[in-house]
Formats: sequence, structure tokens, C-alpha cells
Amino acid sequence: MNQPLMSNTSVDHLSAECFDLERHTLDNGLQVVLHRDPTLPLVALNIWYHVGSKNETPGRTGFAHLFEHLLFQGSENVGTNDHFRYIQQAGGVANGSTWYDRTNYYEVLPTHYLDLGLWLESDRMGFFLPAITQEKLDNQREVVINERRQKMDNQPYGRAFERLHELLYDEAHPYRWPVIGYVDDLEAATLDDVREFFGTFYVPSNAVLTLAGDIDYDRALGRIEHFFGAIPAGRPSELPSAPPHARDRDERREVLNDDVQLPRIYMAFQVPAYGQDAWYAADLLCAVLTEGKSSLLYEDLVYRRQLAQDIGCYVFPTELTATFALVSTAKPGVEPAELEAAIVEHLERVAREPIAAEHFERAVNQRLADHYSQLQTLDRRADLLSLFTTFFDDPAAVAREVERYHALDPGDLTALAQDRLAGRNGAVVTVVPRDAVPRGGAGVE
Amino acid sequence: MGPAVDRARPPSPGRLREFAFPEFRHTRLDNGLGVLAARVPRVPLASLQVLLPAGGQYGSLDAPGLASLHGGLLDEGTRERSALEIAHQVESLGGSLVSGAGWNMAYVEAGTLSRHRESALELLAEVIRTPELPVDEIERLRRERLAEILRRRGQPGSLAERVFAAVVYRDTVYGRPLIGTEESLERLDQDSLRSFYRRQIGPGGSTLIAVGDLDPEESISLVSDAFGDWRQLAAPEPPSIEAPALAGTQVHIVDRPGSAQVQLQLGHACVSRQHPDFPQMTLLNTIFGGKFTSRINLNLREKHGFTYGAQSYFARRSGPGPFVIRAAVATDVAGAAVGELLFELRRIREEPVSREELKETQDYLVGVFPYTLQTIDGLAKRLEALAVFDLPLDYYDSYPGVLAQIDENQVLRAAREHFDPENLAIVAVGPAEELRPQLEGFGPVTVHQP
Repeated sequence: MNQPLMSNTSVDHLSAECFDLERHTLDNGLQVVLHRDPTLPLVALNIWYHVGSKNETPGRTGFAHLFEHLLFQGSENVGTNDHFRYIQQAGGVANGSTWYDRTNYYEVLPTHYLDLGLWLESDRMGFFLPAITQEKLDNQREVVINERRQKMDNQPYGRAFERLHELLYDEAHPYRWPVIGYVDDLEAATLDDVREFFGTFYVPSNAVLTLAGDIDYDRALGRIEHFFGAIPAGRPSELPSAPPHARDRDERREVLNDDVQLPRIYMAFQVPAYGQDAWYAADLLCAVLTEGKSSLLYEDLVYRRQLAQDIGCYVFPTELTATFALVSTAKPGVEPAELEAAIVEHLERVAREPIAAEHFERAVNQRLADHYSQLQTLDRRADLLSLFTTFFDDPAAVAREVERYHALDPGDLTALAQDRLAGRNGAVVTVVPRDAVPRGGAGVE
Repeated sequence: MGPAVDRARPPSPGRLREFAFPEFRHTRLDNGLGVLAARVPRVPLASLQVLLPAGGQYGSLDAPGLASLHGGLLDEGTRERSALEIAHQVESLGGSLVSGAGWNMAYVEAGTLSRHRESALELLAEVIRTPELPVDEIERLRRERLAEILRRRGQPGSLAERVFAAVVYRDTVYGRPLIGTEESLERLDQDSLRSFYRRQIGPGGSTLIAVGDLDPEESISLVSDAFGDWRQLAAPEPPSIEAPALAGTQVHIVDRPGSAQVQLQLGHACVSRQHPDFPQMTLLNTIFGGKFTSRINLNLREKHGFTYGAQSYFARRSGPGPFVIRAAVATDVAGAAVGELLFELRRIREEPVSREELKETQDYLVGVFPYTLQTIDGLAKRLEALAVFDLPLDYYDSYPGVLAQIDENQVLRAAREHFDPENLAIVAVGPAEELRPQLEGFGPVTVHQP
């Protein structure tokens, strides 16, 4: 299936090679996406396993990510530290990451090492279990606990996101706990857990393999069949269910004391999942609010009134629902309650009054440039193709991202703000310097 | 079914497809402005960047932060337009404009859809040639930086960095924070900023780099239109920075009671980017701490589980930049981790690296080179190094070959000459009470407050 780019960006020249692609499914259910771009003598391999922290259960959090670490500890034919060694000897790069919905593994290699990448990935998909030992589990558990300390526990504001999600999502919601997990749960993980998890989720029918770069379609498909074809199929994972968004619930708030110098506010709301029109509206609204010096909130709160040192906003591209978060650090001497009130006023205004065409067009142009920018690398393109196949069963939809933004108008942003942001039914975490007692609105629970 | 899969050993590689460094154009306008231009097809974006001889190294000891504040102010208003007017114009087209300063150079960079290249270039010229450095923007950025200094005081990595620089570089410009200090920021005013501008900024010593979906010839002609009549009196002299050697190893603890972890930073002043041993040092550092399978990461992370990761690097500076080893480790193993790091540092100076280790590192660095050139920014960074460090224009054509020819004795010589495990700074950010007994065996201990 060849997929030319749509006409909507005719003013910009995006080379057609950007999304020339083919799609196949092996007999064992492994989905394969091939994308040819011979500009550089490189090939990107990318595998998405449709499993992330949302497939865990309370008391067993952090397991998907710990498991990702273990998958770099060798397989039947690959020694403990040899995965990276082989890749680096070949002049390649490799890594993996775990998120709410998925775990990905990727390599970028000089084209003539394609077989090496396929051998490594197929060996751990098909022959991982014989290589796993208690010692490896214990070692990587320590590494992950240190990762958690380094990124969260020993960072100023490091626990805020964890609390924000715990407040935003109810007990039963799969996005409630942090991807990296809680230390007690990590301590409890056993080798039996590892075996069961592997057997359930690390199977061809629960994976998408994308190759992007300097490849020949027929030959590449043949090599994939060769290395992956005999691995037993297993079953695709089922989407965990999530309780529906409750519009009528009260805002949930918390104040955290931390070793910080400046107070910071974290606000979050639930918005529709990635792929829905409203998600794109939320994403554009983010750009309207905080992207660039001329964005609404930056210009007013950071530049003019100087209540905030910084402000940022993002929407996660997640599968069940999405988190819309807004983060802002107060200037020295500014009470967090004053900053929060100013932010809320803006959110209420965008829910009430039309967004100026100037702001809307700026946001669309910014997203256009962002989108082009991420298409520059083969690794990112491969990852996007795996994403669109996993979530939407449609890799070619990547090429329609720009259309999705163009299809909106300012009224869609207003409607999203009205529906999801103005109702004060989200979560707010205020981080304040230890021993400081904030005055005003931010009450302690 | 095809032939049976032989899984027992890694498949042998196919035929190498040769890679050549992308073509680029270089020229110098009559007024001295250097121009580097290259085309990166595929996505309709462009990066237009001017590098100016106004980095932190050109500052003075009594005014740390001057170069950085000056760099940050360049895009905050011109004779014609206010900071907000500039931002509105750039951002409405989906572009961006940033200015600032590193240690080597100041920069102004416009990112844009390539169809807006002409207006982006005109704006770039306006910002660089006629900045206003207005008083209210100076005040705003001053307050922003004071708050940033405050914020960094809560960050283990920034605390380690600040103390490390002060200990290693003492009374040289590298010993002061690039962003400045609370005292120095209070003193900087419009007069000092404008006089810094007059002294430093002009076409001499400056370079414009245009990379993206652009025709290089057209870029050069547009640059010539926008900058051709820019005049200056004299190009600024590059400074000479001498780093004083440490006498013995010193331990510096930044006391942070209750920390969940200890941030370690070890190292000393090392070579400048222009040093002829740079390729040997690149190999040496990659083996030691510059890749996932480096000696220190395999030791501290994979063998001991002390850390999520240990890395080393040496900074690319015109002067003698730092060689730095970093790791965030569990508090109760801080002493053991420092011991392992010093063990590895001594070992790499005592015995040559194995031929296999050298070969796989060479293959890695040579093989990964095209990967770093996929993006507009990736290529622009390489061209930037040509300009900043005055490297020959064919530098990247010969670079892979140069790396591949280095032998283990040259690596050993570089390690002996440029690594110094007996005279270095060990900085640890964490609870002093628990750290002192673990670290006092390595050298005299000084405890700092954040």
C-alpha cells in the first residue's frame, strides 16, 4: 500500500518519501510496517508491545518498566550485556522505554546490519526465559529503584506528578499509578511474575514491528519472516477498562512540602483520548495557552505581570483517556494562590469567550512545524508508525496528523475548555518550600 | 518456510553502503562574516543561526553573568520593535527565535518553515545589528535569572556543578557561573551591556549557519543582502584561559540532609577542543564513560547496581574545559562508588585498553556518525564546531579515518597525559553526616551549604 501525502500542506514541500509504506501481518499475528527512505544508509527498527503500566494492578506497580530493563539482560543466544555491545560495535544506537500504554524497543543501525537487529529482537521475543535469573532481577531492581530516586525522590518537585495522577484518577483507574511504580511493589516482584508477564504480553500477536529507512520491501519482509516467523503467536492483550470521566465530582487538592525554593502549581484535567477530535483541540489549546512568548498565559503571567517564572502545558497522547496538565512556577514573593487564581481566570475566559484568530492560527502553525520537525529522524518516524498501528490499526494515519489540526476551528477549543477545564473537577497539587504555610485558597487536605 | 534460523551467533553484516559527509558551502563576506550553508531535504523547515564572539569566556572576572545576560537580551527588542512585537511576528508563522550565550559564543537562532526564510533572515539581521537592550527587559531578565539561581539551589545536579567549577577553576572565568551570581546580576546595567555589545558584536569573528530545506547559493545571497553592509571597527581578541592545577585530591560535600540519593561529580580541568589529541580523547572517554557499555557504567550500574547510570564527558571549550564524571548513587554506597570510579580511572592509565575494546569503540563512533546527521540541528551542530573551533573545512571527511587509525598506545598516552586521578575534585551532594566518613579517606573534606 503506497500512501502519498495529502494536499493540505501543498504550500510546504514535504517529500513524498516521508510516508511511503507497506503493511503486513505474519501468520503468528506479528504486525509489520515497512517504510522506505534511502536518504542515509541507516535503518530504524522499532517494536511496540501493547503493554504498559496500565496493564498492572495496584500492589504490583512498576512491573512493566522493570521488565523492560530485564529484556536488555540477554536471552538464550545473547549474553548479559551483549545487546548494547553488539549494537554499538555495529555503529548503532538502541534503547527502550515504558509508558502507560506500551513498551517500545528500538535500534538504529547502518543498513548492512539489519539482520543483527532482527536477530537480537527476535531472540528476546522468542527465547528470553532461559536467560532470566534471580541475580539479574535483583540487580535491575536496584537499578530501577536508583532510577526512581534520581528522577523523582531526589529531585525538587519530583513527587508532584505522582500525586497529581493519584488525585486526578480514581482507585480503579489504570492511569493512577506512576509508570516507574512504587518501591514496595518493586521489592515484591518475583521471577514467577517475570515468567507470567512475558508469556502474557511478549508475544507476536501483541506486537508491532516497524522498519524505517534504507530497505528493500521484499527483502526486509523475507528477513522478518526468517527471524520471527516461528515464534508462537500468543494472544493480543485486552484493553483494561477505565471508569468514565465524572464531570460532577469536586476538585481534588493537595499541598506538598518539599526542598524547593519557589512554589509551583500543577493542575490536571481529564480530556478525551488520543485520536479523538477533542484531543487535538486540547493539544491546540495548550499551544494557545503557553507555547511561545506570545501565547496567552506566557504573555500575561510570565512576561507582563511577572507572577510566574515559567509556565507550560501538555496533553499526553494516551489510549484510554488523556491527561491535560498545566505547570507553573511562582516568582519569588508571589503567593501560589495568587498565581493559581490568575491561571483559573484565563481558563474560565477561554471557556467563555472566543479565541482570537491570531492565537488560533499561531497554534496551528506551531503544531505543523512540530510535526515536520519530529519527522526528521527515522527512529521517530518508526515509533510513530508503530503507535498508529497499535492504537488505530492504521499506520498511514500518521500522514493525516496535520489534517486533524487543520480540521478544527477556534470554537472547538472553546467547547473543549467548557467541557473539561472550566468545571473545577480536576486535580491541583501545590508544592511549597518546607515549613512555608501558603496563605489563601490552597487548603491542606 | 525458509532455511533454518541459526541463532547461535550474530548474523554477519551485509555490504556496507558508503557514507559521505553532506555537502555544504562556505564563504566569507567582505566584512568578515563567515557563512556556512547546507541543504537538508525532506521536511520544509530551516534553521538560521548566527554565532557571535560574545560567549562567557569573553567576560571579566568581576562581572560574571554579563555575557549570558547580554546574549539573552539580543532578541528582546530592537530600535524598531519591542520584544513582544518580535515574538508575535515570529511565532504567528510557527517559527521561533532564541538568543543566548554559552561559554564559547553567543547565538541568535531562528527556526522557521523554509518558505518564511527571507523574513526570518531579515529579522535575524535586525535583532543582531540594532538591538536596543532596553532597561525594562534588563530588569525582567535580571529577575528571571535571580529566580533561576534560587531554583538551582534546590537541584542536586546544579549544586554539584557550581561547587565543582569553583573548586577546579578558582579565579578564572570558568570558575564563576555562566548565569552569574546574585551579587553580579544586581550590578549589571544598561551601560555595561551596551559597551559589551560595542566591544564584541560585529561581522568579524561571527558566522551565519543556514541549514534546512534551502538552496545554499540562495542562502548566501540572502545573507549577503541582509548583512553585507554591516560594519565594525575591530574584531575582538579571543581570550586565553589558564586553568590552575589542583594540588592533590579534594573532597567537597554540599550538605543536603534527607536526600534520597547522592549526586557525585568528579574531575579536573582538561584539554581544549582545539587540542591535537581531541580524537584520542574522544575514544578514551567513550571507552571510559561515554557509552552504555563504558567501563564505569558496566561497573557501577550493571555489576554493582549502585546507580541508574554513570557517565563521563569532556566539555568542548576553546579553553581548557572540564573532564567530568557524574553519577547519582545510593547514599550508603557513595564511598564505594567513588572508590570504583578512581579504580577505573587509574586502571585506564596503567594498562592499555584491549584491542577488542578499542576496535568496538572505533566501530561505534564511526558507524554512529551518519545517525547524528539525520536532522537539520544535527548537521548545524557539526558546522557550528567548524566555525567555533576554526577546524579545517574537510575535517569531517577525514574524521572517521582518523578515529579508525588510532591504536591502543596512543589511547594510553592520552590517558596518562590528560587524566589525573591523583589531583581531582570530588563533589558529593547529600547528607554530610553520612558522607564524611565514607569520603574522608580520599582527601581533605570541605563542607558547603547549598
